[in-house]
Amino acid sequence: MTDTCEETLGVGLLCEGQHDPGTPPAGLRRAPSGVDGLTTEHLIINMGPQHPSTHGVLRMLIEVDGEEIVAAEVSVGYLHRGIEKLAEHRRYDAIGTLMDRGDYVSGMMGEHAFAMAAEKLMEVEVPRKAHWLRSLASELNRLASHLVWYGTFGLDTGGMGQFLYAMRDREALLDILEALSGQRMMFNYIRPGGVVADLPLGLEEKIRTFLSTFDMYLEEHDQLLGGNEIFQSRVKGIGVIDRGIAQCFGLTGANLRAAGVDFDVRKARPYAAYQELDFEVPLGTKGDAWDRYMVRMEEMRQSARMIAQLIDGMPEGPHTAKVPRVIRPNAGEVYASVESSRGETGIHLVSDGTEHPYRMHYRGPSLYAAQALEEILPGHLIADVVMIIGSTDIMLGELDR
Amino acid sequence: MLPAISDIERLLAALPDVAVAEELLGVVARVSLADAVPALVAIKAAGYESLVDFDGIDTGELIELTYRLRSYALDTELYVKTSVAYGGTIESVWYEYPSALMPERETAELLGLHLAGHPNPKRLLTTDGVPPLLRKDVLIRSVEEVKAR
Amino acid sequence: MAIEKLTGENSMIFIRSEQLFDFARRNSLWYIAFGIACCAIEGLMSASGPRFDFDRMGVFFRNSPRQADVMIVAGTVNKKMAETVKRLYDQMPEPKWVVAMGACANTGGPFREYPNVVLGVDKIIPVDVYIPGCPPRPESVQYAFIELQKKIAKRTEERLAARNK
Repeated sequence: MTDTCEETLGVGLLCEGQHDPGTPPAGLRRAPSGVDGLTTEHLIINMGPQHPSTHGVLRMLIEVDGEEIVAAEVSVGYLHRGIEKLAEHRRYDAIGTLMDRGDYVSGMMGEHAFAMAAEKLMEVEVPRKAHWLRSLASELNRLASHLVWYGTFGLDTGGMGQFLYAMRDREALLDILEALSGQRMMFNYIRPGGVVADLPLGLEEKIRTFLSTFDMYLEEHDQLLGGNEIFQSRVKGIGVIDRGIAQCFGLTGANLRAAGVDFDVRKARPYAAYQELDFEVPLGTKGDAWDRYMVRMEEMRQSARMIAQLIDGMPEGPHTAKVPRVIRPNAGEVYASVESSRGETGIHLVSDGTEHPYRMHYRGPSLYAAQALEEILPGHLIADVVMIIGSTDIMLGELDR
Repeated sequence: MLPAISDIERLLAALPDVAVAEELLGVVARVSLADAVPALVAIKAAGYESLVDFDGIDTGELIELTYRLRSYALDTELYVKTSVAYGGTIESVWYEYPSALMPERETAELLGLHLAGHPNPKRLLTTDGVPPLLRKDVLIRSVEEVKAR
Repeated sequence: MAIEKLTGENSMIFIRSEQLFDFARRNSLWYIAFGIACCAIEGLMSASGPRFDFDRMGVFFRNSPRQADVMIVAGTVNKKMAETVKRLYDQMPEPKWVVAMGACANTGGPFREYPNVVLGVDKIIPVDVYIPGCPPRPESVQYAFIELQKKIAKRTEERLAARNK
């Protein structure tokens, strides 16, 4: 059966320390099948692309032995719409619209990564205020994105109440982001050279009002879901992504930090205003779904802290540098990455000096999280699958691009 | 952060035709296609445990592959570049870096390459019959085509 | 048909069965929870959230296509996805309606030039209501459902008028 499994699903992954050909790959760990002379038959289950718990259009083929998963294959591409190719035919100031639609729950970060890459080529000095506004927009967006994750993660466990509370807070955040940028989701706010508009009048007060209750609400959220014993017993100890797996599968963001690796692009490679802000990077220890939950909840607290600092210390000055109408950056090749809600969003930008990029590669952190699922799912029960997918917080828009 | 060029040169000293230089991108080691896997094996042994990104660029003559590697212990990043001809074959590095599994499939599919030594060399993003879309000779739809939808 | 006439003591109502069915249908438009891309966040998630609360219009999500009346095509349909969309549509029981939400589902939207993208979901399945926008606001989706309700009501009237001719 081992052979057929490898043939049909093509899964036989291995990680650090398992280079000895004698040891079975981690993807094929299993309990000895057949109790008292009974043999069991493996079954391949299709999950998705239409499934309420795959957070989009992820498709998985899961091979099960009874209730236990023996192998899993992630099949993607149901949302492949050519962001990379179309960027070669768009002008630099118009690519932000494509980046928004990549990771569509946290569009600011995608724009930010692209703007940073373009600025490296343009050799333009971004004003200090633009940096602060970018950080402010990113952190507000991170809160909105994490709230979506929080609500849907609870939905995966069968809860409904936390989704409604998360959506209530998210609507308040979207109101702020709409006042800032003019759109609820597809902002196109951060552009090469700066941001598109200054803080509108009265928004500072609005953000302060939001923050005055948000910390209390966040504790409420944490108690509602994290304090629930059923939720705890369903997520504790499942989907363990330890340090080795996280590093060799290229995971970033909260998934990596839950495994105890202290790497946050905002701290390790400071950009925008993060150097001047006081915040902590929460770390997990074991790397299970519970750790990922705790890390993201703590990240929300830190984001709220940062927003307060950003509002208090907002500098004066212009919100954008002088950028020509048609941007023609120098020829060259750069890489810029930011810490998005899901991990490290990177842009590999190649320019040939014309008004269109020659090539733009978009690194979506979800791609790496999704392929790690193939490694971590075997050995779990069917009911754990949606929990593990939910805990990794994948977003199919940036996975397929 | 950037690693010291001399360190990388020492690491890859056993391989012929290695050029390490600091560019706008970062520290880039350019190797030939045959040396790509040995170079990555040596780099992994030196502590670069994570392949963070992998992509290909159609330069018009060749396809240039970029591996972005990171060491969390050293806190450094390194780029390895190699080139492959159109329709050529790239050797998979999934054994060293499992994170290359899907990006390699994607690059091979969208740039029209073949994969060797890959456990699952199927198409990743598109269905059968779709041309390699990221190649420069594959054009996007024209305005007329879109209007006449 | 006021509701108090239905609920009073010894109340009685005369209605054609077709009209009764369509009254029920247009006030319990259950949509299939099938979010493809960005529009799903606005049209499916925010919509069932507390502010917009489509529930009060009888619009609620079902996870299985066999229990759904409406399909909101919320996102870009590409060639790999087209087959699935068609299959889900075929699995829905009659009568069924389709709402094409957003620029991508209408015409291909910002991704129309990419050869892998289908130029509008109406190439695959029939569409009843188109919502412009990228992404449309939840209010637009609400308006689309009101239009869909009108369309269902109108369909019965037309059918009855044709029969009485």
